[in-house]
Amino acid sequence: MSLNDNFSPIRKGLLEFLVLKVIAAEKVYAADILTQLGGTEFATQEGTLYPLLSKMRREELVDYEWKESEAGPPRKYYKLTAKGEAQLRETNQYWLKISETVKNLGQRPAQQSQHVSP
Amino acid sequence: MNKVIIIHLNGIAYHVEEDGYEALRAYLDVAHRKLEGNPDRDEIIADIEQSIADKFRALLNPHKTVVLTAEVRDVLEAMGPVQGEAAADAAPNAAPGAGTPGPAAAAPAGTASAPKRLFRLREGAMIGGVCNGLAAYLGADVTLIRVIFALVGITFGAGVLLYLAMMIIIPYADSAADVDAAHGDPSTTDEIIRRAKQGYYESLRSIRDPFTRRKWRRQFKREMRQHRRDLRDNLRRSLRGWRMYWHPEVPTPPPAGAGWWFAYPFIAVVNVAVVALCIGAVLSLVLTGSVFGVYLPATYPFWLQILIVILVCRLLAWPMSFMHQGYYGHRWGYHDPISHLLHTLAWFAVLVFGVWFLDHHTRHGHELVMRCKYELEEFAAQVRDWWAHL
Repeated sequence: MSLNDNFSPIRKGLLEFLVLKVIAAEKVYAADILTQLGGTEFATQEGTLYPLLSKMRREELVDYEWKESEAGPPRKYYKLTAKGEAQLRETNQYWLKISETVKNLGQRPAQQSQHVSP
Repeated sequence: MNKVIIIHLNGIAYHVEEDGYEALRAYLDVAHRKLEGNPDRDEIIADIEQSIADKFRALLNPHKTVVLTAEVRDVLEAMGPVQGEAAADAAPNAAPGAGTPGPAAAAPAGTASAPKRLFRLREGAMIGGVCNGLAAYLGADVTLIRVIFALVGITFGAGVLLYLAMMIIIPYADSAADVDAAHGDPSTTDEIIRRAKQGYYESLRSIRDPFTRRKWRRQFKREMRQHRRDLRDNLRRSLRGWRMYWHPEVPTPPPAGAGWWFAYPFIAVVNVAVVALCIGAVLSLVLTGSVFGVYLPATYPFWLQILIVILVCRLLAWPMSFMHQGYYGHRWGYHDPISHLLHTLAWFAVLVFGVWFLDHHTRHGHELVMRCKYELEEFAAQVRDWWAHL
């Protein structure tokens, strides 16, 4: 199992958080979300994104309005709701806590042992 | 050469190769199943269709109007498999008792009438299964379709050609799925596609600004109109080309002689009488099994009996129609019977070439010719027997 496969469940779990982040920055079309995630490790496809967006809308984290695009028929233009913003803040804090833990976990015993030895 | 199927995705028509259509259909079928029970299923699928449509549009230009199978596969690859709610929400242990609204939820969805496809059906077929398949397609009685075919065959002679053409063009229903499709299969994708067409108007309703809404509706209508117009223009152009080819110049008819005015009503009346006789004979054969009380040899299959009756009637009408053609031809610029004969020979040559071409270049055509040969030999053998017993 490669590293990529190992982290697949984590990437999946983080996807909603990242979508919230992308939408929080500015109102976007679904295609914009795909492009923004495209260059990263979290690149995803329509087949995953659309069901996720619909679930998030059902949970009232995001909302959309119809807006015309430069070519073709009108598209859904997504924005965050107040609940979505609260959720993003909460998740963000939790994420910072997690990454802090990941960063510090191996170091403290080392520091302690260093501290004790002399 | 590949067959092309026209599909609608959110209101815009696309030409897609047949295999590509099947792939698309399978993809949407899976999506539909994965999202079973999801309250936003139709909306998600509409979004996905919209996205597919955008990708298709990017592939097309005025010189390339068909989406190829490979391109459809690439687009579907890029879309990725549609993730069901269960897969996205974790819950790897789908306990049997936990969430199984599947069959119950599926039941009301399956009631929509399913679209059908035209196939030839072997089961219960008399000749090539064309009438059988048509009957299944139209939901009509087979005998009725057969009688209509027989009548068209007698009155215009085109019925036989039509039957042969359909025999070559329409495939046999070889798999169980095909047979299902011939009778109307309960798959849901075509239903989705039909809904998507309507869905465009519905999604327009959610635009709040009436001006924008009007603008989009106008544009949609314009596009659909343009599409229809293009189709009609193409048809008309090819028809005109065809006509020009066969009749480079239509000569103005010369003034009719006295003979024409005398002969025409006479020929017409006799023609009508022969046609009426023919219809009567076939009806009598179908309803009572005998032609006005005269029984044909019972060893002949039913369809052969009908064919014999039609052939005899056409033989009766032949001199009349020849005269009619002669006069008609005279009116249209054939001054001698020789050119009329040449015309007939030319048509015959075209027919022979057509048969030869089908025999050598299409599998169906070859099978058909082989079958005709076999049937003719059978027929000849039966005639010999009949003659020997006389």
